Amino acid sequence: MKTKILYYSFALFLLMIVLSGCASGMTPSSWAGVSTDGPTAYVALASHVYAVQVSNGVEQWRYPAKADAKISFYAAPTITPDGQLIVGGYNRVLYSLSPKNGSVNWTFEGAKDRWIGSAAIGNGMIFAPSTDYNLYALDMKGKLLWKYTAGQALWSQPVVDTKRVYFGSLDHFVYALDMTTSKPDKAAWSTKLDGSILGSLTLGKDGILYAGTLGGSIYALDSATGKIKWQHSLSSWIWSGPTVDGSGNLFASDQAGKMFSLAADSGKENWSVQPDGPILGSPLVLENSIVFGTESGSLVSVGFDNKTLWTKTITGKLYGTPVLAGTSILVAPLGGDATLIAFDQNGVQQWVYTPAK
Amino acid sequence: MWETFIVTPLTNVLLWTYQVIGGNFGLAIIIFTILIRLVTHPLMAQQIKSSQGMQEMQKSKKWQDIQKKYKDDKEKLAQEQMALYKELGINPFGACLPTLIQLPIIFGLYQSIMRALAASPMQLLTLTRSMYSFFHISDIIPLNSHFLWMNLGQPEKLFLPFLPTIGIPSLAIVVAVTSYFQQKLITPPAANPGDQSAAMSKMMAIYMPLLMGYFAMTFASGLAIYFIAGNLVGIAQYAMLGKLDWKNLIPGSKNVEKKSK
Repeated sequence: MKTKILYYSFALFLLMIVLSGCASGMTPSSWAGVSTDGPTAYVALASHVYAVQVSNGVEQWRYPAKADAKISFYAAPTITPDGQLIVGGYNRVLYSLSPKNGSVNWTFEGAKDRWIGSAAIGNGMIFAPSTDYNLYALDMKGKLLWKYTAGQALWSQPVVDTKRVYFGSLDHFVYALDMTTSKPDKAAWSTKLDGSILGSLTLGKDGILYAGTLGGSIYALDSATGKIKWQHSLSSWIWSGPTVDGSGNLFASDQAGKMFSLAADSGKENWSVQPDGPILGSPLVLENSIVFGTESGSLVSVGFDNKTLWTKTITGKLYGTPVLAGTSILVAPLGGDATLIAFDQNGVQQWVYTPAK
Repeated sequence: MWETFIVTPLTNVLLWTYQVIGGNFGLAIIIFTILIRLVTHPLMAQQIKSSQGMQEMQKSKKWQDIQKKYKDDKEKLAQEQMALYKELGINPFGACLPTLIQLPIIFGLYQSIMRALAASPMQLLTLTRSMYSFFHISDIIPLNSHFLWMNLGQPEKLFLPFLPTIGIPSLAIVVAVTSYFQQKLITPPAANPGDQSAAMSKMMAIYMPLLMGYFAMTFASGLAIYFIAGNLVGIAQYAMLGKLDWKNLIPGSKNVEKKSK
């Protein structure tokens, strides 16, 4: 009898462990966030933030040194002018790490939910968007200065100019907060769009803000007033924010797998290209071309004249935005063999980084 | 197959419920649980009927005589048992088959709730691709995951004004208590209180509520809402069928009964 009771107790215990494992995320919650300061690339993926040398793909350090099941990172780390690496975790903690060795400078634990979007830096402050609906403004030592509560979660990196911080929310609104007034926690303006804003906003040189929505529209807003200048519908919903080049062109992608070039001043469509699968990330804008990834694992380079220059197919899904580090293009495939791959600007693979276990 | 026939339809019914009731996801989970329990009620009724038949057979003198007679011949005992099942019109699989059919629905329900909460980019991506075309994505997303004091996408903890630093897992406690009550109320009295199966039932009545409470404390609180709604609806279903045994809630009631006999 005792043996049977022991047996069933053990079986229940095993079931508990297995189910706990299933729910705590055997499948990844997101794809890697990548950023660079030039010589080093920083990759936030699952249980670690990795620092990888851009010249050869060799790991310099990882944080934490030993994986902790309670900590995971997916937001691209932000590099501050004073030499900090700011990265938010799914454990609700915002970390400041040393880019040199990954040691912790300070942590901010005031958020009530996970960090999905990256922080932005401006006016000597850190602006961190949280899924607990708040934009947190911190000083460079992690002390809370003020916070602004939106109507829903914030998933994307804010943009900053000399006066204001701008960000989109899942509540369909774009917000502008004036940092130079005595009440920065009051919105200077907020404008409702036709769907949630998951990707970052882009601020053009002429003070125009561009946003993409889950409603499938690209918007141009006047950053001074929040007034909509134009709206252009793409063929499906949009995950990431659009990107502008220096010649007045705007590039935006959608779930149907199309990459569009639009006139930044009017929203008029210049051209579109449809490679081989849904496009979630923003394009990387180079001198005469754009580079973007598709869910099918293709890294595609298209000239500003809509001519496909090269295509590289890799194992895994390319959901994120390619990152330019020096002359290398870095991509972090999801579900492939590699965590980070470097290409030159002709699509020739330079190195592959896979973390040692 | 699992996705197409179980998780995706359940997710869409859940989203439809959410939309119809005006965007309250906590209420949507409760109504959705009731709907699913209503749909699977005939299976549950069949299960109860079969279990009761087997219980009665276990208590019958005829079965006890057969057990004594063939106590050293297990093969013959099994043959006689099957013959008795046939004679009494009991389907031996009637008790477990409905449970087996319900299991995928319960797992699917869990997955659909977790998917609809879409608390991470990957979950949101999967959700948008699971939605049937009649939904307008901007009408559904963002899903309002706040219900009472809870964020349904996160494990729940209640902070009381006089205990601001200690979070009480109140939902987990309610899950454990309702699971215990359900287990106690629906478990029929053991035919032979001293045997192994009776001991197992007793043990399950303690372990299962603790296990459910642990899940509720660890996982998103949306799941805890589902557990509580499921437990209460389960008790109501048994009550409707007249199968609740309130005496089970009184500690030692069986022993008193036994001694008095």
